[in-house]
Amino acid sequence: MAKIVVDPMTRIEGHMRVEAKVEGGKIADAWVAGTMWRGLEVMLKGRDPRDAWTFVSRICGV
Amino acid sequence: MHLSECTGDSESVLRATKPTISQIVLDIISLDYHETLMAPAGFAAEKSLQDILKNKKGQYLAVYEGAVPMKDGGVYCCVAGKSAIQIVKDVAAGAMANIAVGNCACYGGLAAASPNPTGCVGIQDVIGGAVVNIAGCPMNCENFTATVVHFLTFGALPELDGNGRPKFAFGKLIHNNCERRPHFDAGQFVKAWGDEGARQGWCLYEMGCKGPMAHQNCPTVRWNGGTSWPVMAGHGCIACATPGNWDAAYPFYKRMPKVPGAGVMANADKIGLGVAAVALAGVAAHAAIRTATKGKNKD
Repeated sequence: MAKIVVDPMTRIEGHMRVEAKVEGGKIADAWVAGTMWRGLEVMLKGRDPRDAWTFVSRICGV
Repeated sequence: MHLSECTGDSESVLRATKPTISQIVLDIISLDYHETLMAPAGFAAEKSLQDILKNKKGQYLAVYEGAVPMKDGGVYCCVAGKSAIQIVKDVAAGAMANIAVGNCACYGGLAAASPNPTGCVGIQDVIGGAVVNIAGCPMNCENFTATVVHFLTFGALPELDGNGRPKFAFGKLIHNNCERRPHFDAGQFVKAWGDEGARQGWCLYEMGCKGPMAHQNCPTVRWNGGTSWPVMAGHGCIACATPGNWDAAYPFYKRMPKVPGAGVMANADKIGLGVAAVALAGVAAHAAIRTATKGKNKD
């Protein structure tokens, strides 16, 4: 059994790490993790809902 | 280098027109590492980076997008198993110049907005200065390409202001170059979204525009090849190139207090009318005196 790690996963927006378990030349199991967190959910707490778009539009700039 | 970011600045640079990004990438520079654009992934991508750091020491330009989360040992942004803190230190050490693009990389930006959950800071706070800050959210691609072209042409970085921003792009107040400024001077303000003033393109100051506190060349350079910019499109400025704007310019829809000069031309018109009335009264009085004098002389 071999394990493949792809980190960074490129040509995407954000940061991602992929781990895959290979058995008999095929992927038997895989784990994907986002490796960056800014906490926009935390920032929005207590704010006027009408201001939310200015923050959440920056979740992804693509 | 991509850190705690949204890739909005990379998106911005793809829209560069003077010169275009294809001219820069294909004809002028060698783009050796950019996670969104590069072909390699995983260990092959990491090899590209390590090769540059080892073989091109002192010969590469490092550009950073996104803030650096300092909290909890830097666990909130990791690439190839390394924290953003470590990546920035490693890359900056061998760079001939370091350029931060977007307010997150410059000053922490949105990632550092209250309560700054991950302890984000800008590149300059990680490596201790010596960074060119192409501020903005996102940064204006023309300001970035102009800085790179300036560096390649003159072998030196452009003159910077106190916030590390190139003076050619951040030397002027948006309020002073805004095409809606005459309406501010005339006291003509949008009072509600979609009202008659909004339809007439009046000033957005009372809707919370932060143009009077923001330094950037948006009104002259504009965006998308000079097509438009936020205030032209009908929304107030959020001072996106100002350090800490997500707190300093917030709430974005609340009017800034005590901006001098609102309605100054309207007031001048009123004062002008008043002066004219006084002058007319003077003329009348003078005429009356002359008439009286005439009569007296006659006598």
